[in-house]
Amino acid sequence: MTPLVRRWWPTALFFAVITSMPLWIHDGYVLQLIFRVLVFAVLGMAWNFVGGYAGQLSLGHVAYFGIGAYAMTLSVERIGWNPWIGVLLGAVLAALAALIIGSITFRLRGPYFALSTLAAAEIIRVLVQNQDELTHGAVGTNAPLLFKAPDIDAKFFWGVIPLLAAAFALSTWIHNSRFGYRLRAIRENENTAMAVGVNPAVDKLLALLPSAVFTSLAGSIYASYFSFVGPDTVLTIEISVQVALIAMLGGAATVWGPILGSVVLTLTSEIFKTYFEHTHLVVYGLLLIVVVIFLPGGVISLFTRRWSFRRQVGPIGAQQ
Amino acid sequence: MAWVQAFLNGLLVGGVYALIASGMALIFGVMRLVNFAHGAFLMVGTYLSYYGWVLLGLNPYWAFPLWGAVLFAAAVGIYWLLVRRVMGANDFLQILLTEGISLALIGLAQLVFGADYRQINLPIANRITGFGSLHFSVGYILSFAVSVALVIALRQFLRRTEMGRAIRAVAQNRAVAPLMGIRVERVSAITFGLGIACAGVAGALLLPIFWTNPTVGGPYTLKSFVIVVLGGMGSVQGAALGGLLLGIAEQFTAYAWADRYAEVVNFVIFILVLLFRPQGLFGGKA
Repeated sequence: MTPLVRRWWPTALFFAVITSMPLWIHDGYVLQLIFRVLVFAVLGMAWNFVGGYAGQLSLGHVAYFGIGAYAMTLSVERIGWNPWIGVLLGAVLAALAALIIGSITFRLRGPYFALSTLAAAEIIRVLVQNQDELTHGAVGTNAPLLFKAPDIDAKFFWGVIPLLAAAFALSTWIHNSRFGYRLRAIRENENTAMAVGVNPAVDKLLALLPSAVFTSLAGSIYASYFSFVGPDTVLTIEISVQVALIAMLGGAATVWGPILGSVVLTLTSEIFKTYFEHTHLVVYGLLLIVVVIFLPGGVISLFTRRWSFRRQVGPIGAQQ
Repeated sequence: MAWVQAFLNGLLVGGVYALIASGMALIFGVMRLVNFAHGAFLMVGTYLSYYGWVLLGLNPYWAFPLWGAVLFAAAVGIYWLLVRRVMGANDFLQILLTEGISLALIGLAQLVFGADYRQINLPIANRITGFGSLHFSVGYILSFAVSVALVIALRQFLRRTEMGRAIRAVAQNRAVAPLMGIRVERVSAITFGLGIACAGVAGALLLPIFWTNPTVGGPYTLKSFVIVVLGGMGSVQGAALGGLLLGIAEQFTAYAWADRYAEVVNFVIFILVLLFRPQGLFGGKA
């Protein structure tokens, strides 16, 4: 095998398998489940740019998710646009929001940063909840469909794959580029990074911009699939935590980690949900505790450790 | 007169905030740990108080030390089991761990108690008293009085007792304290227990004037962190004053603008204080 083939065949195989899934899976429930796995994999990857590589624990990513969902819905309902233009509008608005939120919150470090992102997302939630005339307030409203029947499940499924591929490509690039190394330097020690010529203010913003855009796009498609937007569904803190958990669970600052994390988290909480009502929070909580205490490198470190045991897995496992 | 009423209402609620935030300030000051599970423990306090009243007829206004003791014990256990392992780790892991504890507690509460809203009907708490055109519910006054008394007791404990001195020594310098014969692990466990007990007791005192459900604690984690930032990180006195201030700020916003914007005020204050006066409004250290 040429090096190129050796390096990329698992990726090619993975994308070939998931792309073909709607052709051989006809159970709507299973497709819906995998669709959710893929959307949350995109979200985990997007969070990973900021939370994993740059080590900035954002607990406010639901803000961009909600902006994507609401922008698509309201541009159809209030302006009468095509929902796809609404999706683009959402991405632009999310980038703008990221610029504003980022330039304020990135001045803060550690727990202050985490809490200020949470606060920013909550401000957006409260504002949306209280603009009844524009957003339907706390009740929420129906979201438009991005794809029309027939075979709507398959179309949504194929709709999210380009997004996943783009997020995967960007992740791979960040993982191996100088930009990625600068982000990791910021994560390890911001002062030292500055001393060697990294500008954390700029690099953190540059990581947040694509992160917000991908989160917004995933938010649009997710809201459209479940055809509903409301402050308690697309702007809840739970999604912020879930997204961070997915990246951490799989392995922060790795390309495959968020995909793995999304598979594990979505499937575990689904399995528990079929046996008990209201268990997903217990599952998230216990998984978080287990990951932090026993597996700070994420599930992926179970595999990489065996193959490259000489490399130490850091507190936030730093390898692919 | 309405402004005076809003001010006094804010002060009464602020007293309870002061108690919650003192607990968080204590934990942060001594352990350098941001306790994302603070509100979840407050929620546990409300349920203890609820079932104590419904099943055993224990009035929260005199049974609260019992609920505080239960939460103290639970928190010390959780410290030894889990929190101990992330002491000295980066704050990323600490936040995720306490967030995990929080989610697990909320999820367990949903499983065990269901998601319904619950309320108790305590005759004394519903009585209204007042002078002139000002009116207060007796429940608010009682909760305020007990909270303020407890904050003062906590301050005296930290200043006057041997354990209090040990706690302050660890807050000042974690590396040097053991050289003075202080058992840092034990002090941390007790601090965590005390901080959580503050949140739990506040929950028990909020129940007669409020309601509860498994997610009731969520806003209080953020609120108490806002207050801790406002009062100067880790300062218990600062947190007490910050609590009163936040209570008043909320009531003023609710009166001047709209009820529902009161929560935005928290976050705006939080970000502004962090950006422009990160040492807190009152400066100083624990």
